[in-house]
Amino acid sequence: MRSFSDYLRSVDDDAFLKLFSARADLIIPVPPDIASLAVRACSAPSLARAIDSLNQWQFQVLEAAASLNEPFTEKNLVAITDKAASTALKHLIAIGLVYPSDDGMRLPTQLRDVIGNEPAGLGPASMAKIKIAEIDKAPPEAKKVLERLIWGPPRGSVGDIKNPGPGVAWLLEQKFLVPLDQRTVILPREVGIYLRGGKVHKERFIEQPTLSGSKRDERQINLAAIANISTVLRWVEELLNFWADEPADALRAGGLGVRDLKILATHLGVDESCTAFIVELAYLASLISIDAQDRIMPSNKFDIWLMQTPADRWQALASQWLITSRVSGLVGRAESKNVAALGPELDRVNAAKVRSLSLTILNENPSIAPTISSFNEVLAWRAPVRRNSSLQEELANWTLREAEWLGITGQGAISTYGREFLAGDSLGIINNDLPKTVDHILIQSDNTAIAPGPLEHEISQQLAMMAEIESRGGATVYRFSEATIRRALDHGKTGDEIKVFLTKTSKTPIPQPLEYLISDVSKKHGKLRVGNTSAFIRCEDSTLISQIMNDKRLEILALRRIAPEVVICDHDATDTMRILREAGYLPAGESATGIMLTGPRSNRALTKPRPPRVIGEIVIPTQDTMNSAIRTIRTGEKSTHKQTHLRQIANEALGALPRTSANETMDLVNKYIAEEKSLSIGYADNNGAVTHRIIDPIRVSAGALIARDHATGEVQSFRIPRITGVAPL
Amino acid sequence: MTDGPLIVQSDKTLLLDIDHPLSTECRRAIAPFAELERSPEHIHTYRLTPLGLWNARAAGHDAEQVIDTLIKYSRYAVPHSILIDVAETMSRYGRLRLEADPVHGLILVTTDSAVLEEVIRAKKIQPLLGARIDKETIAVLPSQRGQIKQSLLRLGWPAEDFAGYVDGQAHEISLVQDDWKIRPYQELAAEGFWHGGSGVVVLPCGAGKTIVGAAAMAHAKATTLILVTNTVAARQWRDELLKRTTLNEDEIGEYSGAKKEIRPVTIATYQVMTKKKNGVYAHLDLFDSYDWGLIIYDEVHLLPAPIFRFTADIQSRRRLGLTATLVREDGMEGEVFSLIGPKRYDVPWKEIESQGYIAPAECIEVRVNLTENERLMYATAEVENRYRYCATTRTKRDVVEALVKKHQGEQILVIGQYIDQLDELSEVLGVPVIKGETPVKEREILFNKFRSGELTTLVVSKVANFSIDLPDATIAIQVSGAFGSRQEEAQRLGRILRPKSDGRTAKFYSVISRDTIDQDFAQNRQRFLAEQGYSYKIIDADDVFQGKI
Repeated sequence: MRSFSDYLRSVDDDAFLKLFSARADLIIPVPPDIASLAVRACSAPSLARAIDSLNQWQFQVLEAAASLNEPFTEKNLVAITDKAASTALKHLIAIGLVYPSDDGMRLPTQLRDVIGNEPAGLGPASMAKIKIAEIDKAPPEAKKVLERLIWGPPRGSVGDIKNPGPGVAWLLEQKFLVPLDQRTVILPREVGIYLRGGKVHKERFIEQPTLSGSKRDERQINLAAIANISTVLRWVEELLNFWADEPADALRAGGLGVRDLKILATHLGVDESCTAFIVELAYLASLISIDAQDRIMPSNKFDIWLMQTPADRWQALASQWLITSRVSGLVGRAESKNVAALGPELDRVNAAKVRSLSLTILNENPSIAPTISSFNEVLAWRAPVRRNSSLQEELANWTLREAEWLGITGQGAISTYGREFLAGDSLGIINNDLPKTVDHILIQSDNTAIAPGPLEHEISQQLAMMAEIESRGGATVYRFSEATIRRALDHGKTGDEIKVFLTKTSKTPIPQPLEYLISDVSKKHGKLRVGNTSAFIRCEDSTLISQIMNDKRLEILALRRIAPEVVICDHDATDTMRILREAGYLPAGESATGIMLTGPRSNRALTKPRPPRVIGEIVIPTQDTMNSAIRTIRTGEKSTHKQTHLRQIANEALGALPRTSANETMDLVNKYIAEEKSLSIGYADNNGAVTHRIIDPIRVSAGALIARDHATGEVQSFRIPRITGVAPL
Repeated sequence: MTDGPLIVQSDKTLLLDIDHPLSTECRRAIAPFAELERSPEHIHTYRLTPLGLWNARAAGHDAEQVIDTLIKYSRYAVPHSILIDVAETMSRYGRLRLEADPVHGLILVTTDSAVLEEVIRAKKIQPLLGARIDKETIAVLPSQRGQIKQSLLRLGWPAEDFAGYVDGQAHEISLVQDDWKIRPYQELAAEGFWHGGSGVVVLPCGAGKTIVGAAAMAHAKATTLILVTNTVAARQWRDELLKRTTLNEDEIGEYSGAKKEIRPVTIATYQVMTKKKNGVYAHLDLFDSYDWGLIIYDEVHLLPAPIFRFTADIQSRRRLGLTATLVREDGMEGEVFSLIGPKRYDVPWKEIESQGYIAPAECIEVRVNLTENERLMYATAEVENRYRYCATTRTKRDVVEALVKKHQGEQILVIGQYIDQLDELSEVLGVPVIKGETPVKEREILFNKFRSGELTTLVVSKVANFSIDLPDATIAIQVSGAFGSRQEEAQRLGRILRPKSDGRTAKFYSVISRDTIDQDFAQNRQRFLAEQGYSYKIIDADDVFQGKI
């Protein structure tokens, strides 16, 4: 019988390529030789990961394979499933879940542990010979019992095995049921399959269900998608401009508070889940930074982003979204109340996988806007078994929602832009298809200005400063009010500049009331002046003030006269008094208060942006990395072989305890478990002393070898790292 | 990308470019389902609201039509969420229907049993229901017909009312069109109402709502109860009905503070209906005193809350609401929809104006500089007295005087809020004043004199805001107001929007104190008037004095 590693040694590079592209974890990091590769490929986590990638039909075939006794043939497998199993089996072999041994098909040792002891709800194989045809003669009570057990679970409890009911008694007698313990009986596998009509599964899901939904017109899809793209770009920009004006404070536990989220939602005019999505999107693309004072504000990358073309801007957002493990859909759900956007609790291991699968499904079905139920059906077929799969449907549905917001889909169906994005093509088409920017506005006498299309960046920035946005969409409605004009003045515009800008930009003449408004506000603006000062010098005698102003010895104070009787300076009061005294004046202190009103206009974090880390995902390796991995393994294999050989010669010479490397140990153990042979091992005890044991290996589980020790006759577990070497007896 | 006149925004507003060649066509297409929010010179803003969409449903439009219209005229792609929302909202109307059943009386029927299950579990609905008849039907207590409609609307499942109406006691009423003709839009409005069963007709002030009422009565040919805002309005209704219909004096009764006549056509005031005696409404019997075939509510937007409650109890009678605006300052638009009925007819002011039925108007804000002394007084006044102070400054008086002088010979109304200011103005201008305490008789005499031209200038307080008919005022001068509320503005403008015999432009002056809160309020006013599409100009008081305007 060949072991899995023997099998691996026999395959060609093509097979390795297939294996590694399906199971990237096998070469990250690259294993030193084939034995280690085999060990890794047979480890429970790696197997589980590989099983995750199966679709429902492939998984059914695997379950069926697991219900057969090893070795089995393709014919056996087809018999209990369907003709289509051949193709599925090829795939299972390619990804190393089944391997052809010299005597037939076999499964890697740990695989049964991973899929469970009762694959497809079938019990263990019967130990005794049974006459299966007899079962048709079962009395009605027995039939009733069988019916309960057919589709699993195959275990049933009885009151007392010694005193069973008539049906159970007949079945036990015929060996159609096997007693498991005092109260449990189990239906043997052969009986189960027979009763199931010779097939393992009730229904065989060979084909992927068709995705149903509304058929959309390609043109409409792209129109809707491009509208979504321009919207999402606008959202992100508005969000960051909002925080540039007034940074938000992060919660102590990290993330954005519910109140801030609500304020933002109102500002952007979207609901809170969409707001959370936009916030996360900006965060992923490093456009947001959280500084040391826990203030959330745009990073300096935002300025660079703004200068890019729409297509590049969009790509920056979408590409990060595609691979992130963060799930903005979790924010604000009833079940997860305290999960905050930008917070630490948004990572989900399978998020990117589900996202990519969802998009793949959409991509495979162009022009179809799927219904949720149909989509979930297809999804369940494509990914029937998943670890952490509790959120799978929700993740997928959030993906659909977010893909629409991003414009990867339009009206629910994949758009041209989405397809090109997923294919990694150039997105220049977005720049062409976005509505042409307009360079003018229409000002109306109700103090609104309307931009009848997306505004040129420069104009929209200017306008956003002097007017409030009232309505968003294809067009933008701005409203001028006293407060907004004041804001523009605060930003350093003058009333005339505002008027000139508006006259230049507006296609229609500025209505007279607006002109009045601007001049009214600018007339009042700045009548009161506010500044910073450290100390003031006040004197009712203005001649004395003139005197100190002209005193050369006081030049160091840099005095500024702000009124005939008041002088201010930037030194503090104590210093000022000291200098004045030194110059021979006789000043006295006076209590004073000052209010700081100015601040930086538009904030940028000084710290480097730290985008969230992507966790839980392994990228599919490139051809090159895989080829070099194969080379490494092959070389390693040669040298290991040599070393083992040398060591064996040495061991034989010394007659010492067997010594093998950890990988060889696993390889040998797996082999001898299958062959049910006794082994001689060296085992290190708690104090490090190595003892020699003779054991019968049973199975490997959780890093330990379960085996019967010949010395004690008990089943005991041996921690694998402590096994110094293995040799057959 | 098409090049349509309409831009559909993601906040459910629709922007209509009226300089676009297709704009008229587009406006007609969207008017049934979108509510016009403002109509300044270049871009009009409409809004999609659930009520608006349900109004459209009630008028027989379906979601597909609405969506097609949006897509057809839209310049950019229509946000998908809006299309979904429209379909979703519109499909909510009519899933529940109130019907009359020969066996069970009033029943609630649904085409979607899940919806019925949802609503009958609502706490507010449960007490209104009777026995469950089958999966899709449940009996409703007949007395709760109004209540249930109100509650269902609040739940977002407005019920369509097919339970029909009682005919009421027949009474012959027809229009007498000897020296006048009913205008086409008035006729359309009355017909729209009659076919809809019950509902609201929205027409601007001065567009002849009374005639729509009379035409509706001529359709019903039954005893009619008319509810109006006050006694003056009641008398005007009476005069109009006498002039326009076959009704004679003995057939029309007035039910007000002064008289308690109940006749086949009875005109009652809101005030008397909501009067309480010993804590109970004393005059509710009026609703039952005749087998009314039609109930008309004048100025629906002012309908007091208690009247809604009575209205809920008389859902089997036809109801016609008349108003210039569906906007209620108290936000009870939903009540109007569920209890009186959906909007049945609506024309924008501008359209009637362009047909020559109401006069074009120009709005002018006159800014008055306060004197140094006045500024100081204003600055130091208590916050709650500030408005009063700046609204009644001495300087305003001079401006009013100058304006009145300038428009000598035209019919001028001076409108204000504060009685002492009005008294003062009346004295300075040497013209009579009408205020709350002026007896109805005297008011009528003065109004008649003004109408006949014997009197050219009149100073009025806010009593004039409501439903008086001053046929030939071409100039209105507003000196103070109730903080620039939209409703008041609509009323005041309505005063001067009656068609002028010589086609002259009506002028609406507001006199404002510069740099005070008066000016802030004026900004509300400016916004509202500009939104309605009126030209708005600001001038300085000096321009008035120097005769520059």
